[in-house]
Amino acid sequence: MHIEMPKLIIGDLIAKLPIIQGGMGVGISLSKLAAAVANEGGIGVISSVGLAVVHPNPDKSFQENNIAALKQEIRSARSKTKGIIGVNIMVATTDFDHMLRATFEEEADLVFLGAGLPIRLPSTMSLEYLQNAKTKIGIIVSSGRAATLILRYWAENFHRIPDIVVLEGPKAGGHLGYKPEQIFDEDFCLEKLLPEVKEAVRKIEEKYSKSIPVVAGGGIFSGEDIYRIMQLGADGVQMGTRFVATEECDADAAFKQLYVDSKKENITIIQSPVGLPGRAIGNQFLKDVAEGIKMPFTCPWKCLKTCDFHRAPYCIALALQNARNGNMREGFAFAGANAYLVKQITTVKALIAELIRDYSAACA
Amino acid sequence: MDIEAKVKQIVMDKLGVEEAQIVPEANFIEDLRADSLDTVELVMAFEDEFGLTIPDEDQDKLRTVGQAIDYLKGKLG
Repeated sequence: MHIEMPKLIIGDLIAKLPIIQGGMGVGISLSKLAAAVANEGGIGVISSVGLAVVHPNPDKSFQENNIAALKQEIRSARSKTKGIIGVNIMVATTDFDHMLRATFEEEADLVFLGAGLPIRLPSTMSLEYLQNAKTKIGIIVSSGRAATLILRYWAENFHRIPDIVVLEGPKAGGHLGYKPEQIFDEDFCLEKLLPEVKEAVRKIEEKYSKSIPVVAGGGIFSGEDIYRIMQLGADGVQMGTRFVATEECDADAAFKQLYVDSKKENITIIQSPVGLPGRAIGNQFLKDVAEGIKMPFTCPWKCLKTCDFHRAPYCIALALQNARNGNMREGFAFAGANAYLVKQITTVKALIAELIRDYSAACA
Repeated sequence: MDIEAKVKQIVMDKLGVEEAQIVPEANFIEDLRADSLDTVELVMAFEDEFGLTIPDEDQDKLRTVGQAIDYLKGKLG
């Protein structure tokens, strides 16, 4: 018997598949990947971080380039698909306000706010503007406590309640919203955090009579994983790592190959200049950083609120940009805990077909 | 209960610290080990308790127990 995955319903926005492709920066998930995922019925997400380096225009400021590049990526995705396109914005970035406004102006279907607590109203935005923006709001959280706090804060201060909650567990790639000692603690595994977040969201749903789906991410690899976490109450999944190993992923082939070649023992936790731990594929560059070898750099523009660029051992934006362009000697790749399970580069279409097939098989 | 006592009570409840630690100079993050969620919860608790709104730009001024007490005293006259 063939059992289909349920749709993901976010108010009047309905995704055919309950799969959100997680936003991956710098320049890993842009319009090409996002459109490919959206075309298959999932939600494609463009990462807004550091776009100025992907589409540089020397005549304009870093900030102007960031805004123009994000708008260009959203339009480019729209031209390739009629599916659902979202944008991921890091709260810790200094141009958060501008990125959010650009996302609203382009009327992206969704925006996902993560890497920090999204509780400050952009200074350039009126409450009315925020309330009337068509773009649905997603928040990325690491605990029920954070979900409660952010939802309550938005309800009370902004009179707009976020439309979807993404729980990113400690097996995710990139920046993690956990303390280093919590990352491998079984009490903080996705399966234990999910009921807690569901319960926190349920209370807000009841109080404000609004349905808010909860999506789980971090370590979800197979169709069976999707089935398993949805049986535990998730309304969908967010997946990043699997989508890196696709032809449509916007990174250089060398970056993708690193995933295919990685082994379990290569996946490591670093302390990022963002001020959060992060999961990455270990390499010589990260070894040098860990040994205290400083990578000289000049900061062209302070992109992270939390970066102490006078003391940072290297520029993370530059390192991630280098990796994205295939220069692994001067950069490194963020990756999820299960990246070592990736065996080949495939297409988004084939990946989605595999996930659907394995989901159905797990139901049986 | 006066403002000072109420603030101390909220800080004790939210951060799970001993009364003796809650001195005016105590910095919420550095001394009382508040994380980013704690600091927001504290502000929200002050708002609930004293029935006022603390604007975003003022929240950064409330770094220590003493600063919070002075701020609230100033607002509540």
